Amino acid sequence: MRLEKCWFCSSTVYPGHGIQFVRNDAKIFHFCRSKCHKNFKMKRNPRKVKWTKAYRRLHGKDMTQDSTFEFERKRNRPERYDRNLAENTLKAIKKIDKIRSDRASDHIKNRLKTGKVQRQKEARKQLELGIHLVKAPLALAQDSSLCLPKIKDNVSQAQTEENQPMEE
Amino acid sequence: MIQPQTHLNVADNSGARELMCIRVIGASNRRYAHIGDVIVAVIKEAVPNTPLERSEVIRAVIVRTRKELKRDNGMIIRSDDNAAVVIDQEGNPKGTQIFGAIARELRQLNLLK
Repeated sequence: MRLEKCWFCSSTVYPGHGIQFVRNDAKIFHFCRSKCHKNFKMKRNPRKVKWTKAYRRLHGKDMTQDSTFEFERKRNRPERYDRNLAENTLKAIKKIDKIRSDRASDHIKNRLKTGKVQRQKEARKQLELGIHLVKAPLALAQDSSLCLPKIKDNVSQAQTEENQPMEE
Repeated sequence: MIQPQTHLNVADNSGARELMCIRVIGASNRRYAHIGDVIVAVIKEAVPNTPLERSEVIRAVIVRTRKELKRDNGMIIRSDDNAAVVIDQEGNPKGTQIFGAIARELRQLNLLK
């Protein structure tokens, strides 16, 4: 029994799932479900189909290089069964999986960080320009504490200032 | 799912190129043949200067089908074309080489590999 990778979306194909297509040049394509199989028959390139791992890795959305990937290589030599080895391998698999998924989510978080800062800057700009929609101009002039606090230009960590609630 | 009138490629070097199925060997009204079944076929196209000639009726065993082959462990295997290997009455292949991939189910037959 071997867990294969879907040729189209790169997810694991468990036994009993999916279809294997054998081309006449004896190349075998594994598919995890009919969605991937049908896309393959349509001759779609997985590198251009947005939801596949191939696209995500190619366009830098997901982590590509990491030492945790070295553990999951295809090994063709069967190992003699050793209970200790099997036990340690199972423990290691869990640990490595956790490390890899943590690193992957960190990668995505870092990627999205610049967007978050950008959006906060834009929101602040919009607030400054449109403050008259929120507060009466007389109230602004009278009570200077209602003005926006001075913005410290801190690119790495955007400040979150609370907009004072308006009593109506 | 090979039935009469189905054209099949020939996957060996027996001399035939394309076969058309005439009959599925088995029950009297057996409808379809799958991988590993024997069919009676007529040669539609043959390589010149070989012992097999066009419009000769021969037997063949099916080695590849476009219809999926289902295994007991849940594996489903599909091929790109329908192909057969020419066989004689005893079940020995007429050719000496087989081209293309072949399913493991055919290991029971003595196909030279």
